[in-house]
Amino acid sequence: MHLFDVRGNFHFCLMKTLYLFILYLIGAPLVGAWLAGWDRRLSARLQSRVGPPILQPVYDVLKLTQKENMVVRRSQNFYIAYYLIFVIFTGALFFTGQDMLLIIFSLMLASVFFVLAGFKASSPYSFIGAQRELVQIMAYEPAVIFAAIGMYMVTGTFEVSKLAQTNHWLILSLPGIFFAYLFILAMKLRKSPFDISTSHHGHQEVVKGITTEFSGKALAMIEVAHWYETTFILGIVYLFFAKSVVAGLSAALAAYVFMVFVDNAFARVKWPLALASSWIVAFLCGAGNMIWLFFTRH
Amino acid sequence: MFLKKSPWIIHYDGSSCNGCDIEVLACLTPLFDVERFGIINTGNPKHADIFLITGSVNEQNKEIIQNIYCQMPDPKVVVAIGICACSGGIFAECYNVLGGVAKVIPVDVFVPGCAARPESIIDGVVKGLAVLEEKGKKFKNMKKGLATLSIDPAQIQDSAEILALQKAAYQSEAELYNDFSLSPLNQSLEEIKADFKSKIFLKAVLNKVIVGSVRAYQEKETCHIGRLIVHPLYQNWGIGTKLLYAIEARFPNAVRYESFTGHKSKRTLYFGRKRGYRECRREKVSLKRERVFFEKTREGKAR
Ligand code: SF4
Repeated sequence: MHLFDVRGNFHFCLMKTLYLFILYLIGAPLVGAWLAGWDRRLSARLQSRVGPPILQPVYDVLKLTQKENMVVRRSQNFYIAYYLIFVIFTGALFFTGQDMLLIIFSLMLASVFFVLAGFKASSPYSFIGAQRELVQIMAYEPAVIFAAIGMYMVTGTFEVSKLAQTNHWLILSLPGIFFAYLFILAMKLRKSPFDISTSHHGHQEVVKGITTEFSGKALAMIEVAHWYETTFILGIVYLFFAKSVVAGLSAALAAYVFMVFVDNAFARVKWPLALASSWIVAFLCGAGNMIWLFFTRH
Repeated sequence: MFLKKSPWIIHYDGSSCNGCDIEVLACLTPLFDVERFGIINTGNPKHADIFLITGSVNEQNKEIIQNIYCQMPDPKVVVAIGICACSGGIFAECYNVLGGVAKVIPVDVFVPGCAARPESIIDGVVKGLAVLEEKGKKFKNMKKGLATLSIDPAQIQDSAEILALQKAAYQSEAELYNDFSLSPLNQSLEEIKADFKSKIFLKAVLNKVIVGSVRAYQEKETCHIGRLIVHPLYQNWGIGTKLLYAIEARFPNAVRYESFTGHKSKRTLYFGRKRGYRECRREKVSLKRERVFFEKTREGKAR
């Protein structure tokens, strides 16, 4: 779509998209890993511990690639590979500035592959984890879609490339939607209180939930996918503040730090509460925000 | 190597008095903070690199310990913590206690003490890291060591290892037919031991690990070859071929060699065809599965 926007400048646009894609492909996991490293360090400090080195998440992934890849069924790795590919694809669409709705669908598809992998591994723990992941998808999807629709209502476009260059402070028109999005951020980042399907801390009632049966390279792929996802999820936070680059970046960073605090301050909730609360917030604040926009703008 | 930079731990409490357990958990607290070294307590054997065991082994937990050990992906290290886990300690004489952990699984590092102090536990884990690193190299060397692959007759003591291997190797078959009632997957230890009486077993050993096996017996002029298995990790390395030729050589007076596989197992059929076998008949074994028999005559020509 946006390839054809600039008349006669097709080639230039394609090159730009390509550069953005390559930049994203290399940059996004680095940003994700770096954030994950600070997350662990910050969490440790909050518990008055020293904490691991910042590069620890990278060491973990590199180690995992050196481990044996044990499987219950071989095809479980196939789904994980697709999960990774579609997460990368989703982020690629986002960072090259494509259509927001397409991005949401693609994200959905990635999550579905992850859930399938969990089901395929068919241990009681990964099974429960996969079911909870489904619940989680259901819980966060409204808020994400509202974010896209809300941005459309203000700017008249679904395209990320245009949203990123908007002169509106989207946050001022969409405070309710932003709040709803912030609320479900914990789910996407797998943080307490909503880390119900799996989390970065072991020793839970479902062991490691959906990731329980994955080891070695498959687990490394899940980690890398999570880095990509983190970057992409924070990218949406950026859009709310896109009028100024500095404001956008600091908002994204602040949102992440905020999530780390939330992670350390809350115990996880049961899934019915996670689902109900995120829907109530999404429909109350998100839909309320949209109704308000509708009446003030038209 | 990054193994030593991010060792993940699983902790199991055998029949310990809980003294050592508390000390293990103390390592995670702000005072000792083992996460400094990237150590995480995972609670999931499939994610773990180091297996910490406290307390002695008894009749009830011996299988659990073996099970956890088997579920950990290679390379892995076992650290026995406390004198109980090392030798049975003060419980050694109890009627139900078998002794130290080393009675049931190979232990790499022993951390004595009653209770072992957090400092020495950390020291033990750090020692374990060196072993882990060593094992990691070995794991990598498996392929390099392929030249040293030896094919020997298996002994009855190998049956447990071969059975585990068999179950790993037949997993993909079961998936192919969506039939987990396949006999190789459900064979018991007793049955495989009984097999030793009637059949010749061969094992392929690579760096002291059994990575493949095959068994066969002769009936009149025909040598029946079965359960040619290679560990999923080491397939396509030519181990299967070596096993097949070795077992054929064990039956010099057989005129015909016969084996079978399922009708969907294209890889096995291809493998057989490449090694001079020809399909001879089919037999329906269940709704889902058909057995394809293939044979080879002594000169290598199909009849
Ligand atoms: S070594 Fe001592 S403290 Fe540790 S489990 Fe045995 S009896 Fe308890």
